[in-house]
Amino acid sequence: MAFRDALDALLGRTRLPEAETERLFAISTAVVTLQTSLDLAPSGRGALCVKPIESSRYDAAMAEIRELLDYSCRETGSTCRLETDSYRFTWVVLEDPDFEDLVTGIHLVSQTLIEHGFGAYLLCAVFRFDGATRVYWIFNFKQGRYYPFVPGPGTTRDSAQEFRLRSLLENELPIEKEVERWYPLWGIPI
Amino acid sequence: MARWRRDRGLQVRMIVTVLLLALVYAAFIAVLTYLGAGPLLLLGLVALLLVVQYFLSDRLALSAMGARTVTEVEEPRLYETLTRLSALANMPRPQLALVDSRVPNAFATGRSPRHSVVGLTSSLVRMLTPEELEAVIAHELSHIKNRDVMVITIASFLSTVAFLIFRNWFFFGGGMQGGRGDGDRSLWFVLPLVAAVVWAASYLLIRALSRYREFSADSGSAVMTGRPSHLASALAKISGLMERVPTKDLREVEGMNAFFIVPAISGSSIFELFSSHPPVEKRIAALERIERELA
Repeated sequence: MAFRDALDALLGRTRLPEAETERLFAISTAVVTLQTSLDLAPSGRGALCVKPIESSRYDAAMAEIRELLDYSCRETGSTCRLETDSYRFTWVVLEDPDFEDLVTGIHLVSQTLIEHGFGAYLLCAVFRFDGATRVYWIFNFKQGRYYPFVPGPGTTRDSAQEFRLRSLLENELPIEKEVERWYPLWGIPI
Repeated sequence: MARWRRDRGLQVRMIVTVLLLALVYAAFIAVLTYLGAGPLLLLGLVALLLVVQYFLSDRLALSAMGARTVTEVEEPRLYETLTRLSALANMPRPQLALVDSRVPNAFATGRSPRHSVVGLTSSLVRMLTPEELEAVIAHELSHIKNRDVMVITIASFLSTVAFLIFRNWFFFGGGMQGGRGDGDRSLWFVLPLVAAVVWAASYLLIRALSRYREFSADSGSAVMTGRPSHLASALAKISGLMERVPTKDLREVEGMNAFFIVPAISGSSIFELFSSHPPVEKRIAALERIERELA
């Protein structure tokens, strides 16, 4: 893998890494610890952020996702919407009181995009938890790992709380080891 | 993963260029070795110099450009764009630097993705739409991901040696004659000639190589943003404006380039959007090709 990366660099090929969704479900079990030891309850809201690309195949994939979501929303009584943020990234926002269903829904959307060949353009999945503060767990599809994000007022973040979250959930969640990759996301629409 | 056809021709041309460069260098080393150990000592010295330059390249380039690194609080929007693109490409996020200049331009520098900086001039930021800026930033990120600073530093290493020998052959020639008694003295005066030829040939090859790296970074930007048309329109905008920039500004730019005394060093430290660049029309045509394959 490292050799292929080096070869790509030497030949000037830019390859976006594929999405890694296997460990997305780890959050379903971590939810218990979050609730019991941190008093953080799932807000029932989750979102997926994807970079829209200039292609009719992409438009077709998004149309299919919309159809799929409309259908599953009618079935389960959850809600969903599509949003475009000010950076022109698309957010698929799902609301479902059942946390496991929510994670499954997010996984379904990501899987559909991967099947259509747009897995590389999945930026992240986000789950919101509410307690004394607002806490986000962000899933980075490139690493297949989670990291905590606790936004403060403006563009500040509560790093102390984030490190505390990491130390408490280290054994249950695959947490991104390199803190430099804990990219903040301002203005998450959930 | 991006599924469109890769530009095989570009990669073949790149490999051929590197092989030719290696051939020129091999011949040069053969001549140097034939002349004795002295030149090898010189080679070691310049290698040391280049290692130092390699590790200082980011700071050197930044101060030469008059660039100021900015924080996330100062430029939240630009940083957010940089963050998202870095996350998509799965690379560490570089620092952002701004240059107060009326010439629209962008550059990337740094020896490795971990020690890299993306620089933008203030007029570029003002002139381009957010999408076009994103495309330009993605182009610079591709340079970083492809380790272009390293590639060109290594490629131009012996070229720099040849250039130095050519410029200072009296000094070096005189100093090294005592090094080995059995060396053929009559050949010493051939050395600067050989060095000149090596320098000229490698200069052209390096120029070609960096043009290919530009094309690669363009397609990298298209892959990263998924929208080749934005880079195309940014390039068209910048080149159109560059032609109309008053000469005084262009001289300012010349001044920045002149900061680097050895041409090879300036070429390796900085990847400007418009240095040793292929013609904009060709770049736009290549982007349009990607666009058609996407649709």
